[in-house]
Amino acid sequence: MRCKITPIISLAWLGNPHLEKSFLLDADSRQLVTFRDQLRALLRNAALDEKASGEVLLAVQEALTNVLRHAYENSSGKIEVAFLEDNEKIKISICDFGKKFDLTKVPDPVLPRDKPGGLGVYLIKKLMDQVDYDTSFQEGNLLHLIKFKNRTHK
Amino acid sequence: MKIEQRQKDQIEFFELDGELDFHTSPEFREKLQGLMQKQVKKIVINLKKVTYIDSSGLATFVEVLQKTKRYGGQLELTELAPAVRSVFEIAKLDKVFSLTESENEALQKLS
Repeated sequence: MRCKITPIISLAWLGNPHLEKSFLLDADSRQLVTFRDQLRALLRNAALDEKASGEVLLAVQEALTNVLRHAYENSSGKIEVAFLEDNEKIKISICDFGKKFDLTKVPDPVLPRDKPGGLGVYLIKKLMDQVDYDTSFQEGNLLHLIKFKNRTHK
Repeated sequence: MKIEQRQKDQIEFFELDGELDFHTSPEFREKLQGLMQKQVKKIVINLKKVTYIDSSGLATFVEVLQKTKRYGGQLELTELAPAVRSVFEIAKLDKVFSLTESENEALQKLS
């Protein structure tokens, strides 16, 4: 099964150069570490400063960890990740076929936390400029994480 | 991730090297649990070689801080790289932890 996040028709010839790459991962913590290196390499070539790149990297990893924990509940499964870069933004879409988990509905924690845990979703929302959960995707979860290139940091 | 541990003058020192994440933090957490059980009073953790931290890494530190406080111990985190410090700041944990610029400064706070 595939998600609907595979690359769309290239707009490069319209003067809007962009890069798209997709990855199919197993819901396995070791694979997420390997994928982090691949994403780091993509972000290194993107027109983002080091701080913003680090923020995207962490947000994506937190989102993937959530898929393992909440959607697949630490059992096996597939995760599809699409990376898109255009003039304005970096967009990373993460899709799984596990249990529904809409992290945009998770309320922000009271900070600072006085007990361990509960920071992952908060970090994702704080580190990215936009987080969209696609409710039309019936087979699992489809999340879009967006970072705009010319936006000042929050 | 590499974890170096040494003891001097009843202070337990850790130096971490690598990425502290959901994959590596359980090993570090286990080492710290041993110290918590012995109720070690003074702990310094040097993070200068930590290049990445995620919410699992933060949770490990929050747990250690809680436990050390409970038995009257002290925890000092020192030499955080800007990227790591920034994650503490976003989670507002820089207000909760004692974060120092050098091991010397950490030692002064302990004495």
